[in-house]
Amino acid sequence: MLLALPTLVLLAGLLAYPLGRMLVLSFQDMELRHLFSGSTPPWAGLDNYTEILTDGEFWAVVRRTTIFTVVSVAVSVVLGLAVALLMLRVNRPVRLAMVISMLFVWAIPQLVSAQIFKWMVDADFGVVNHVIDQIPGVDFANHSWFADPTQGWIVITTLVVWAGVPFLAITLHAGLTQVPRDLLEAATVDGASGWQALRSITLPILKPLVVIVTTLSVIWNFGLFTQVWVVRDSKPEQDYQTLATYAFTQAFGRNNYSLGAAISVITVLLMLGVMAFYIRQMFRIGDVD
Amino acid sequence: MLTSHRSRTGTVLANTAGVVFAAVMAFPVYWVLNTAFKPATEVLSFTPSFWPEHPTLDNFASAIKAPYFLVDLRNGLIITAFAVAGALVVGFLAALAIARFQFYGRRALIMVILAVQLVPFLSLLIPLYLMLNRANLTNSLIGVSITYLVLILPYTVWTLRGFIAAIPRELDEAALVDGCNRWQTFYRIILPLTGPGLVATSIYGFIQAWNEFIIINTLNNPEKQNLMAWLLQNQTNRGTAWGPLMAGAIITALPVVVFFLIIQRNIAAGLTAGAVKG
Repeated sequence: MLLALPTLVLLAGLLAYPLGRMLVLSFQDMELRHLFSGSTPPWAGLDNYTEILTDGEFWAVVRRTTIFTVVSVAVSVVLGLAVALLMLRVNRPVRLAMVISMLFVWAIPQLVSAQIFKWMVDADFGVVNHVIDQIPGVDFANHSWFADPTQGWIVITTLVVWAGVPFLAITLHAGLTQVPRDLLEAATVDGASGWQALRSITLPILKPLVVIVTTLSVIWNFGLFTQVWVVRDSKPEQDYQTLATYAFTQAFGRNNYSLGAAISVITVLLMLGVMAFYIRQMFRIGDVD
Repeated sequence: MLTSHRSRTGTVLANTAGVVFAAVMAFPVYWVLNTAFKPATEVLSFTPSFWPEHPTLDNFASAIKAPYFLVDLRNGLIITAFAVAGALVVGFLAALAIARFQFYGRRALIMVILAVQLVPFLSLLIPLYLMLNRANLTNSLIGVSITYLVLILPYTVWTLRGFIAAIPRELDEAALVDGCNRWQTFYRIILPLTGPGLVATSIYGFIQAWNEFIIINTLNNPEKQNLMAWLLQNQTNRGTAWGPLMAGAIITALPVVVFFLIIQRNIAAGLTAGAVKG
């Protein structure tokens, strides 16, 4: 169709072509000198992939990214669902306060929210250390949150969950208001407890929506970049590398473009299943055509 | 749910939990405002106060006067305007095609549009950098503008498709019967009716382009950045100047927050229920 042509050309030129180029690049050995001279980098076959897949550091990065994704998505979705349910139970003014605070959080750019968190957990002047320090017997003055990677990751996960809950809670709340009231009333008349009604009526109806938002959260959180980048001052230590920052660091930090490309290819392959699942769900629930 | 059947203590508990939740969520937002209006001595204090004792605009002044602020603000506006306008024109045509016409490859096009929104754009940065480098479009506003256009295009097509599909086909047909040609039908029926959709979509495109910083940071030098990349560089350049940094963050985030609050409903719909009814 002629109308879709410009879109196709642009998508092909700036998405499909780079994607193909990335694939080719991952089988070559491109370094800085090739960038300057414009000469074609030598063919490297599977060398990059062998190098990555036999590298313990890479697997540590995969493991870290996966654990972070599982934990952060689980916490976000459970919390989002809990907040959505809570919104049904509270008074109007309280619900309004909840929605307004969440909308502000949702609206804040990732980079800015990461900077705010970095400032709040600042070792010397951060409010978090100050507040924890008030607890009797606890000394948190000048406590560095990023010296220990576990604590650092708790901060990053908190940041990602805090920023992610508004989308989940507001979307799921919208879904909950679609659950037919008379179904719930009938259940209560028949003697179902609130918990039973939730489990056998509300959640099954909500399930397609929960699946969609969970899938989206997995895709987003697996690609974690900005938050780590900002709280680690644009040079994350080894313990803070995710797949995205790792590929970027290899390519632009060490000028090893081919290695970075190969890592990106593997990352996309790892996500392919989840992405395909999301698209299938969109087609199924939406009946797109 | 059936509040009347629930106990009064339950309601009190729920409301308390709701208020606590809202306060916890809002705290970082309050803290950035609190910091930005404090003088430097209060910001860098070992016992941070929960209210600026001597409120001041110094931090904002110092952020605006920082190197490259005005240049990067202008760059950001130019890049964003170009990307949004371009994506709107190109995307509208594709959206029209998907929503109104059956053609070979339509389903494939929809799948591509959904799929590319999921591919982390960052993973394309390496080949993109090499491509633009070869075309001499690194360290230029044009290269970034085109990149951002493509970045926001899939979402633009997808949301506009929803808005166009919501217009009853009967309206088009009635117009055709009444003697309008295809162009007039488009111009007099579809375009005016998608007006609000165009506004919402372009605002979302603005937010996406405005918030991007890693692509532009990789492609361009300091004098060709946008405000978001400027903010990142300020963080690393200044070390502990948290007051001006938070003020800069507020200035940078303000247009996004305002716009976001206006179109919030459409965003949620686009990501999930946007799939409802083609």
